[in-house]
Amino acid sequence: MKVKELEAIMLEKFPDAPLSRDETGMTGALWSIIVPISGIRDATKAFWSAGFFLESITALDFEDTFELVYHFNCYEPKSRLVVRVLCGHDQVPPSICDIFRGAGWLEREVHDFFGISFSGNTDMRPLLLPEDADYHPLRKTFGKVSAYHKREEIYG
Amino acid sequence: MAEQDRTEEYRRIYSLNLGPQHPSTHGVLRILLDLDGEYIVKADPIIGYGHRGHEKMGENRQYKQFLPNSSRLDYLSGMIFNHGFVLAVEKLVGIEVPERAQYIRVIASELNRISSHLLWFGTYVMDLGGFTPFLYAFDDREHILDILDSVSGSRLTYSYCRFGGVTRDIDRNFIDMTRAFLKRMESRWADYDDLVTKNIIFIHRTRNVGAINPELARQFGVTGPNLRACGVSFDVRRSEPYEVYDRLDFEVPTGSNGDALDRYYVRFKEMQQSCRIIDQALDLLPGGDFIAKKVPPKLSPPKGEVYAAFESARGLSAFYLVSDGSPGPYRCHIRVPSFGNLNVLNEVLPGTLVADAISILGSIDVVIPEIDR
Amino acid sequence: MSEGLFSWEWFRLILGLLIVLGFASLNALFLVWLERKVAGHIQLRPGPMEVGPHGLLQTIMDAVKLMGKELILPAKADRRLFFLAPVVVFMPVLVGFLVLPFGPSIIIRDMNLGVLLVFAFSTFTVLAILAGGWASNNKYALLGAIRSVAQNVAYEIPLLLAVMSVVLMVHSLSFSEIVVSQKRVWFIFVQPLAGLIYLISATAETNRAPFDIPEAESELVAGFHTEYSGMGFGLFFLAEYTNMFIVCAVATSLFFGGWQGPFGYSLGIPGVFWFLFKTYTLVFFIMWVRWTFPRVRFDQLMNFSWKVMIPLSLANLVVTAIVVKFI
Repeated sequence: MKVKELEAIMLEKFPDAPLSRDETGMTGALWSIIVPISGIRDATKAFWSAGFFLESITALDFEDTFELVYHFNCYEPKSRLVVRVLCGHDQVPPSICDIFRGAGWLEREVHDFFGISFSGNTDMRPLLLPEDADYHPLRKTFGKVSAYHKREEIYG
Repeated sequence: MAEQDRTEEYRRIYSLNLGPQHPSTHGVLRILLDLDGEYIVKADPIIGYGHRGHEKMGENRQYKQFLPNSSRLDYLSGMIFNHGFVLAVEKLVGIEVPERAQYIRVIASELNRISSHLLWFGTYVMDLGGFTPFLYAFDDREHILDILDSVSGSRLTYSYCRFGGVTRDIDRNFIDMTRAFLKRMESRWADYDDLVTKNIIFIHRTRNVGAINPELARQFGVTGPNLRACGVSFDVRRSEPYEVYDRLDFEVPTGSNGDALDRYYVRFKEMQQSCRIIDQALDLLPGGDFIAKKVPPKLSPPKGEVYAAFESARGLSAFYLVSDGSPGPYRCHIRVPSFGNLNVLNEVLPGTLVADAISILGSIDVVIPEIDR
Repeated sequence: MSEGLFSWEWFRLILGLLIVLGFASLNALFLVWLERKVAGHIQLRPGPMEVGPHGLLQTIMDAVKLMGKELILPAKADRRLFFLAPVVVFMPVLVGFLVLPFGPSIIIRDMNLGVLLVFAFSTFTVLAILAGGWASNNKYALLGAIRSVAQNVAYEIPLLLAVMSVVLMVHSLSFSEIVVSQKRVWFIFVQPLAGLIYLISATAETNRAPFDIPEAESELVAGFHTEYSGMGFGLFFLAEYTNMFIVCAVATSLFFGGWQGPFGYSLGIPGVFWFLFKTYTLVFFIMWVRWTFPRVRFDQLMNFSWKVMIPLSLANLVVTAIVVKFI
């Protein structure tokens, strides 16, 4: 019910954003939507008002783009939803740490591992890496890497 | 800065490092405290001392090679994390797990949950100054470790689960030891009640200490017993049942205040509910295979992603695997509950006393290697 | 006998001092062993068993080990205070032994201000703890020392008020007179509240659990003796156990009849054995409490003293005064 309302809100805010449903349950989410960088804050505010909590923020490194994956969940059964943002290797997405205060640390971790800066997050110190670290380990250009793909090779 | 320019506040507030080497921080955690006398003005947890690069390791290994890593994330719920990883890969590849294997995995996971909570119980009371329940809890925990050792070969970090089932079937010895353990614990709950739960000093140290309201919990993504102590009944075993949890009858205990005492009660009752689950699972245990036949040694999963959530001893954990068709993941991200649970201290600690900081930190039950990965 | 330089009095005094030093050391060693055994058995394990029969020689070996360790002086620490503190914490406690009534005439110096002497000298420990914590140049140690001072000051008052109730009944500050006046009935039955207050305050005065915040192992690393190593730490440690013995010995003399048997019948056993037996039972009781209860939080500790113990002990004193005056 919350999920259905949110779906309506999201389709209203982002009419041409691709929304893919998952019937099999493999992705653990009911649907996932790709929003533009500028829209992530509006989307997050909608999730906050609907009573969801931010489960995790992570990023994926593809040859042509970074992809930020936000998993939201609420306290009702089987209500996980995914919001994805495709941002280029040099783009700076906005931070959502004032909407969900827990996002502060999650964004710091993404910054540590991928080098994605979030504008609006005042505390961008390294979280897991040493204070003077200037490398980003989970990029596919760092260290031992077994594969580096473009996004459509995996998601089609 | 000249002496006159320093404000009254600057002169009064001093900073103190809690950790990284400290008997009560349960791992290598450093909390930079700004103190005004005995009161905490600002708390800044600094983590990363135990970062081992599990997520990078995940990208460079095949799925079966990552099995040992999964236990070492949260080593106190090693079996549960191992179970969760195996669930994720099975979901991805589409392996059917025989029913007996599912029951065995549930029994092992619940035993692990009890052992994790017992360790938390012992160390929490020890942090507060009561040294004795620690040894009693570890005595009970030895029984669990012996049970799991007999079937998997390890005491703490298990690689007992395999894709499609478990490594080895459980035998009469395992079932007898487990039943004996359950019987033993029935009398121990009353002992712990008398020694700790009804102890007036313990109650004074934990009541109204470190209260988290549901709004704050939602902001930080707090899950697990910490969230349930606030009154929100959210348990992955109920909201997204996996394996055979939907066939087992158990309660999800909740608190009301969200203070340390409620967190203690919730975990205490969770241990008892886990005993109930194990009892039922042993009764319902069917015969059959303990591992799916025909699981290829080198998995070639389809392209795509999988997100498998499970309830570890500390809250909602999940494995997020992105597959590109190769025998290893393209991205392996682990969602850990202690991340949000520790983060919430930024807002819970200010305003409390230093002695309460230890009590709050202990009651949240963080395992730092899980956060650091 | 003349009161010259080599008189009998001097000889007796020096002999007494030597006995005191010997007894205090032996006692401290024994109590450390007892604590570890009690802790072990409460925690379902045997405690030290290797060194000597049932680990009896363990403490001596530990003392030898501690004496062999390097005395580390932290950078920028106050050198004189740092090394003075352990000495000051141990020496005054020994003075208390001079007036304890071990037996009917086994008392080194039967002063008519015995009670006052013991408490006056035991207060030196607070100074030493503060000096040690301050001189360590360490925030943890300073916090521990500050807490210790506040705690000691707070619990000194109900301690003395409880003792005053007994003194008021006996009209004397001399230990032997107080013990003798308990011939028919021990004062614990006449003044149960004062006895309880005394025991609780004594536990707090000696920084024992559940009041051991100043040296809380899991909260401030090791409190005021964080920076001490080797014999410095050893002296703090020994002083704590000796202090514990003294307060229990005082409790025995004031409340439990001292060297007398029950109802004045000694049952053929010398007074010294009764005295030591009762004292060590109280010591065991204090140790038992340590390993059973968690620690009281500091502000709760202070509240307990100022809001509960002091009013109760004052009321007890007033009631005692009224009863003594009119009955």
